[in-house]
Amino acid sequence: MTLRVMIGTLAVVLTIALLTWTAINEPARMEAFAAGQAGRSIENGALLFESNCAPCHGKQGEGIPTVAPALNTPELFNGQRVREAQFAGSVRDFIKLTIAAGRPIPTQGSNYSARMPTWSQRFGGPLRDDQVDDLVNFVMNWGKAYEAAAATPVVTPTVAAFQPVGTDLNVQLPPGDAARGQALFNSQQPLADGKPAGCQGCHTGAAAGSIAPPVEGVATRAGTREPGLSAEQYLHKSIVQPDAFVVQGFNPVMPKDFGQRMSAQDLADIIAYLMTLK
Amino acid sequence: MSTEAPVRPRNELKEYVYEHIPFLRDVEEKGLKRAILAKADETVVRITAGLGVADIRSALRGEPPPRPNPRTKPHTDGFILHIRPAYYHKDVTGIYPTFRLGWLSFYFFIVETITGLFLMIFYTPSPQAAYGNMLNILSNVPFGRLMRDIHRVGAEAMVAIVALHMLRTFITGSYKKPRQFTWLTGVILLLFTIFLSFSGYLLPWDQLAFWAVTIGTSMAEASPTPWPLNVILGPDFIGTNANLLLRGAPDIGAGGLLRFYLLHVFMLPLLTFLFFFVHYYKVVLHGHSLPPEKEPIGEDTARKVPMDRRVYFIPDILTSEMMLTAVVSLITIAIALFVHHAPLEHHADPQATPLHTTAPWYFLWIQGLLKLGDKTFFGVILPFGIVFPFLAVLPYLEVAPSRRYADRRLGISLGLVAAAVLVILTWMGTPAYRVQTSADQEIGQILIPGEQVGPVRAIPYDQLISGVYDNYTAPPNAPQLQAVLNELKQLVTERYAHELIGGQGILIIEDWQTDLKKITLRIVFQVPKNPENLAEGLESRTFEKTTYVHRQSNYAGEH
Repeated sequence: MTLRVMIGTLAVVLTIALLTWTAINEPARMEAFAAGQAGRSIENGALLFESNCAPCHGKQGEGIPTVAPALNTPELFNGQRVREAQFAGSVRDFIKLTIAAGRPIPTQGSNYSARMPTWSQRFGGPLRDDQVDDLVNFVMNWGKAYEAAAATPVVTPTVAAFQPVGTDLNVQLPPGDAARGQALFNSQQPLADGKPAGCQGCHTGAAAGSIAPPVEGVATRAGTREPGLSAEQYLHKSIVQPDAFVVQGFNPVMPKDFGQRMSAQDLADIIAYLMTLK
Repeated sequence: MSTEAPVRPRNELKEYVYEHIPFLRDVEEKGLKRAILAKADETVVRITAGLGVADIRSALRGEPPPRPNPRTKPHTDGFILHIRPAYYHKDVTGIYPTFRLGWLSFYFFIVETITGLFLMIFYTPSPQAAYGNMLNILSNVPFGRLMRDIHRVGAEAMVAIVALHMLRTFITGSYKKPRQFTWLTGVILLLFTIFLSFSGYLLPWDQLAFWAVTIGTSMAEASPTPWPLNVILGPDFIGTNANLLLRGAPDIGAGGLLRFYLLHVFMLPLLTFLFFFVHYYKVVLHGHSLPPEKEPIGEDTARKVPMDRRVYFIPDILTSEMMLTAVVSLITIAIALFVHHAPLEHHADPQATPLHTTAPWYFLWIQGLLKLGDKTFFGVILPFGIVFPFLAVLPYLEVAPSRRYADRRLGISLGLVAAAVLVILTWMGTPAYRVQTSADQEIGQILIPGEQVGPVRAIPYDQLISGVYDNYTAPPNAPQLQAVLNELKQLVTERYAHELIGGQGILIIEDWQTDLKKITLRIVFQVPKNPENLAEGLESRTFEKTTYVHRQSNYAGEH
């Protein structure tokens, strides 16, 4: 019996030693597991991206013009995209929300032909929550490459100071240049504030007729919309005060800030271009 | 006016106090130290239901018990020891004949209960939460992985030990009269143990869980509807409804997970506990059967223990069990820490069936049977309608009185043949037997398995040097990569060469993101345009399998 008691005691002492050793190593083990899990999440995200996202956003997230924006770009990680979308949260939240719920309305000024669909099962898409998180981790991992760049202060492109045209309809507009107006309308040239106008996004293509009136023949119709307003006056009012008169059958979704974003010359050029569309 | 209270005489007051607090009288009579010791001894007697400090010390010193023996009192007066025999026959206290297998089964049942309670704290039975809970237990709960690994090791051990316990009872013929019913409850306990282990399989909600249980429960769907119910209710009535009852829906989902959880943590443990006591009470009632050669043929002398053959529970069996508890716990913890970590595969995905899905090892023999033919007969009727019922009534069939090995040559031989058949069927249940996959798929699965790590992911990150490796040669500073390329070469140009005509294996490693590499395995080979008519020539095929490896993932560390 002495032998039994001794073996038993020895086993208890060894067990306690083993558990103490485990307890000492436990924080490091948990940290290592969490790090490994973070790595595997990125790998899962990469596989999901390859099959679900790459067709529109490009194999390496480089984006495909007119289809879907680049994701492998500093703009996404330095906060510029988030500001443009007027999103209040962090970059990670923005990416997660966009993947999970899609983007029913594109960022103003973008010209992508398709809308981002909803991916989360919570919004009718195919992916589980953990898969959405894997994708977010994968996309966020592109940001690592830009961290060094982001450490230096973000330089916002300098835009020459300009006098916004405002919302006053009595402002005298300079003579317009229809060719430049067309470039502004199609976002090939930026407005005075340095950003594209994005008119073509809603007034041409598939959206025209459902989201906004099509641009074709606008010069003919403009003079007939509101009694007492000439075609030029009606177009001027519709751009800087878009909600004052909404064509029947459409919703007041046109951005309200063009008066602050355009110079008098921009507005005159766009009107001149629209007046060519008889 | 005088208001003085009547004064009790001093002696009367003392008597009053002593009457209510007799301890004080003891202090006065024996002194403080002796009084405290006497009180302590009394407390120990209460707790042990009959043994004082002196009795315990004498037992621990190995002294023979005084007469009458106070060491049997805890068995008659105490609740916990009431079910344990007060003494054993000396011939059953060695390793042979019991091998302690029954005791070990119960020990692991308790271990499973304790670790299971720990895991339950951090677990929610919902498909949305379960897998995340597992990651949390592993990454954020101190001792979480150890508890899960012990739970897993304990579950596997319990199934094996209960089965071995049954095999031992068969071989020593201990199930013969009067212990037939003990055996029957034991077969029921074996079934409960298997289903306890199996129902726990689903809970992590990973691919392993989902598909192993999908295979398992698909057997329920194959249950036949016996006559005349099949005429009245249709041939699929029992199968369809058994499946619905178990899964909560045609396929495993939220309902199935909740049902398996409740089975696992509530119903099966409760039933096991109940049947355990029925089983053990019968053991106590009939006594542990002696080794067959120790008693006359046809007699059961386990209960008639001569005085000189008695080994009392206190202290001998008790200290022996305490020692075993300590030693087995140490071994279990060491295995859980250093040898076996419970696997956790990817999140369950009903859309993605992993290649080579298997049932848990203790069901592989049924999976092997399923490969022989009809699902209903080989998957349900044979194992659950014939094998287990046959086992349950075995002692009522083998009624010859002798338990001696020499008299049971046929029975024991048949039993060993049955055990061998079980092993062969288990092997037949693995993908090694009659699972056909094309050679390119098979190589992809070997090098980049869908779930386990595999050789490619196990290459240290620093040796994943970007490049296109189309001649099985890696840079000199990447020996692990070279080893994988050698394996690829061996697989394509030797082992599967007969299927992959002109086969070439290519490994492509690309830098994909910071700390992320993309690895593509490509096999280019030729197949006959028309297998029926080789004269039509060959056409080229390409197989590709992609994986990504992140620096932090540290597959090499766990491989």
